[in-house]
Amino acid sequence: MPNNAMTMIRQRVSWLLVAGVVALIFVSYGATPAVTTALLASTVRQSTPLVLGALSGIFCERSGVINIAIEGMMLMGAFVGFLANVYTGNLLVAVLAAVLMGAFMGLAHAFMSITLKMDQIISGTVLNILALELTGFFYQQGLTTQGKLTPVRIPVLADIPLIGPVLFDNPPITYLSLVLVVVVHILLFRTVWGLRTRAVGEHPKAADTVGIDVIRMRYINVIIGGMIAGLAGGYLTLEAVGSFERAMTNGRGFVALAVMIFGKWTPLGAWGAALLFGFANALQTQFQFLGISTIPHQFVGMLPYLLTIVVLAGFVGRARPPAAIGQPYEKE
Amino acid sequence: MRKRTLLFILLSLLALLLAACGGSSEEPAAGGEESAQTTEETSGGEEAMTFKVGLVTDVGEIDDKSFNQSAWEGVLRAKEELGAEVDYIETKDAKDYEENIRLFADQGYNVIVTVGFALGEATAKMAEEYPDIYFIGVDQFQAPGTEKPNLAGLIFNEDKAGFLAGALAAQITKSGKIAAVLGTDLVPPVVAFKEGYEAGARYINPDIEIISTYHPGGLDVAFTDPEWGAATAKQAIDQGADVIFGAGGKTGNGALIEAASYEGVYCIGVDTDQWLTVPEARPCLVSSAMKLITPGVFDLVKMAKEGSFPSGNYVGEVGLAPFHDFEDDIPQEVKDKLKEIDEGLRNGTIETGYNPGG
Amino acid sequence: MADAKIANGAPPTRWQRFAQAITIPLLAVVLAMLVGAIIIVIAGANPLGGYTAMFRGALGTARGLVRTFEKATPLIFSGLAVAFAFKAGLFNIGAQGQLILGAIAAAYVGFAFEGLPPFVHLPLALAAGMLAGAIWGAIPGALKTFTGAHEVITTIMLNFVAINLTDYLANGPWKDRSPGNIVARTPAILPSAELPSIGVVPLGLLIAIGMAVLAWWVLANTTFGYEIRAVGLNPAAARYAGMSVGRTVIASMAISGLLAGLGGAVETLGIVGRYQPGFNTGLGFDGITIALLAQTSPLGVVPAALLFGVMRAGANQMQLYGVDAEIIGIVQGTMLLFVSAPIIIRKLFRLRAPEGGEEVVLSTGWGSSG
Repeated sequence: MPNNAMTMIRQRVSWLLVAGVVALIFVSYGATPAVTTALLASTVRQSTPLVLGALSGIFCERSGVINIAIEGMMLMGAFVGFLANVYTGNLLVAVLAAVLMGAFMGLAHAFMSITLKMDQIISGTVLNILALELTGFFYQQGLTTQGKLTPVRIPVLADIPLIGPVLFDNPPITYLSLVLVVVVHILLFRTVWGLRTRAVGEHPKAADTVGIDVIRMRYINVIIGGMIAGLAGGYLTLEAVGSFERAMTNGRGFVALAVMIFGKWTPLGAWGAALLFGFANALQTQFQFLGISTIPHQFVGMLPYLLTIVVLAGFVGRARPPAAIGQPYEKE
Repeated sequence: MRKRTLLFILLSLLALLLAACGGSSEEPAAGGEESAQTTEETSGGEEAMTFKVGLVTDVGEIDDKSFNQSAWEGVLRAKEELGAEVDYIETKDAKDYEENIRLFADQGYNVIVTVGFALGEATAKMAEEYPDIYFIGVDQFQAPGTEKPNLAGLIFNEDKAGFLAGALAAQITKSGKIAAVLGTDLVPPVVAFKEGYEAGARYINPDIEIISTYHPGGLDVAFTDPEWGAATAKQAIDQGADVIFGAGGKTGNGALIEAASYEGVYCIGVDTDQWLTVPEARPCLVSSAMKLITPGVFDLVKMAKEGSFPSGNYVGEVGLAPFHDFEDDIPQEVKDKLKEIDEGLRNGTIETGYNPGG
Repeated sequence: MADAKIANGAPPTRWQRFAQAITIPLLAVVLAMLVGAIIIVIAGANPLGGYTAMFRGALGTARGLVRTFEKATPLIFSGLAVAFAFKAGLFNIGAQGQLILGAIAAAYVGFAFEGLPPFVHLPLALAAGMLAGAIWGAIPGALKTFTGAHEVITTIMLNFVAINLTDYLANGPWKDRSPGNIVARTPAILPSAELPSIGVVPLGLLIAIGMAVLAWWVLANTTFGYEIRAVGLNPAAARYAGMSVGRTVIASMAISGLLAGLGGAVETLGIVGRYQPGFNTGLGFDGITIALLAQTSPLGVVPAALLFGVMRAGANQMQLYGVDAEIIGIVQGTMLLFVSAPIIIRKLFRLRAPEGGEEVVLSTGWGSSG
């Protein structure tokens, strides 16, 4: 059983790594508590849109539909959420508007790639381009939002040193993203619905023969995926920044795609990967803060993308996507 | 059959469209009905009477709350006060700089304002080609020996503006730690602001702790990433920085808005009085390190009209924006000190130490 | 079905096939412009006047024509790059990265190699651009062959890497250190590396059209081209027939990258005159739309790119007329939607689907090539 042995070794290595990271954090906290806290808080913050984007991708791809339109879905969600905030001043309404816009983008993607059987990558490209151009055209300067989502301290928990300020003093969508990681994990691996989703993504024919409606399953999943991407967009305009700018997603949707692959299409894995990417960004900033500039920042900047290639290429454990991904389903 | 009819209609529509443009290009004066108005206005017989000012933006929008907008406001002032006829073109592709300038030049414009250091080469070339037109190049340094009589570079000592901002920051910080969140170091004015800011802060307090960061991305993202700006500002605030200098377009604005949600944290804007352009940042915005582009552009247009156009470099004013809501919070001695530094920077007794190109 | 069988009676003539091939793109262009017109109306401007200004600006004068050609040239290259990869069943989203690397490589040869005569220097600079693009394209090809990593993801990632790399070079080792320059850019290329124009036609455009013809010829008339198409249509069958799928994938991606890199080189040597970050933005991505508008035909890429050239060249006139130039982006996006979902157009106009038409299918799994 060499395979089993390999898996065991890999698991041990993973746990050792996690233990190492935790130990490092404690040492670092002992030395410079403020900097360590700031670094980790920034890590969580920068990982939030990535983990949401990755969850969006997981919903779509687990059911067999490639989603490279996360970027466009986020951007549209961000824009519509922003507009809703400007005109209603109600943040809850604005978040809902962002999510609804995401759902609509998901529906469009589903319609093109499932019903019209368009190539899924092309469908995603169409959505990305249209999102960029439409938001650019209709955005006008001078619109001012009416506030943004602010941190909610969770009593008692927030007073724990290090962990408190990092995890329990965050704004709502950040909490929601953490909850979603767990919820999606349970949904995907512990419920009948998740089993069906995965079946549709792996063996649609087999799923069909046992009576699962493949088309319907895919539609629902892609729409939910769109909603989460819309939420990620809402996070940008309504929680993180409090304003909109043209093309403000700046490739985060594509990084989310990388995060999803990095996390091997699992919510927990994606969360870990998003934290890693967020940490890399935060560390990059911290290096500059400290005046360490021996490495040109462009090289630090390209690191996450190189890492993704490395992971995807299987140099660090093979990333295997759902088997039926990308193929339109033809009922016989 | 229905498909054929529809196809036919569409194709004939297309043909019509093509014919329409073909026709109008043969007789350029006629044009479409709507465009006839603009053509008449711009190339009609009153050319000698009207004074026309055109503006070409850098890649970006005219309403960018930053230098494009400030320059355009200067042109608009020329419209009001000098009765100039004005128009602008937003550049969408960096390779169009020359062409967009030409568009105005060929329509008999008297003054053409080009905004941003990136247009420097194109502007110089066009100034040579059109010696009868005055060119104003905002942020375009004219190297000694290359000056042209009909081209003035409106330049600013950003390092001095940054110096004042740094001096202000060092005097209002309580933690002794200040930060700067910047666009990319690929763009010279940003570097000048940063170096000036740090020098100004150290001038007040040599032991001050300054943490500053450039955006790690390329030109295409470095100025349009408010989320990075915000996250970076938070990271700085979390480790004790209580003054944030945001210098880098939308990225910097993100940092300002983020700082606004913390008690006891101040922020300083850049380029224009951001009190007016980023109202979301008002709770923390003590001032802005300004380049007075609007009056600079207006003055140069006016000089062009009066025939006293300066060639070479025309150094525009820099300074701090009004304190607005913080007028009463800033102690008088801080204001006096800033005034003293401002004078020192002007008469050369204080130097920022910034050396571009070095 | 019965209908189709009757139509099948006689094989379609060349002309019929051609007509069939251009119907969808043509209708897509017209429909997209109509959609654009509606949006212009919503934005409160006059679409007919706007479009007229655009066409007049792009085609009405000799200089407009030059600009149309100049704008179209890099788009032909990037469109060709994407289309060529499509033929092998590969989706090259990385044309942008390959193009900017080609651009900076050509710039480097252009400014650094002094004392060469033009007939050596210019080809050398072009070759450098091709090589850089080909390498950048071959990497995802090799990754796909040897590890199964899907080229869509790897090319997206390599785009980001390429931007960082070129920014570093243009602001670091290859920065223009001439006195007075503080901008991130390479020095200007030497006159001996400049790509000239013949009258109103830039030489780059002729190279681009030449490459389109060459690509078409290779695909249609050579064994290699046949292998590429076979791999694109059905890799498993191609493998069964004894072809080396892996080698074909790598070669196709390398050629795709080469075309994009050459586009960057032509842009540097013919238009920009140096490498400067921000001067090649979006060219590679437009290649996707153009390739699809051309129905992945290398020859079709030329008119598709020229159409884009017209829109770009006329954009500033349209702006002066009072229509926001961003409308062009919307028109192009809508165009992409209509060509890639031909069923929408077929439904609208009650067109029949072509018999055995080649629909582009690429999404054959993310991580493994099977």
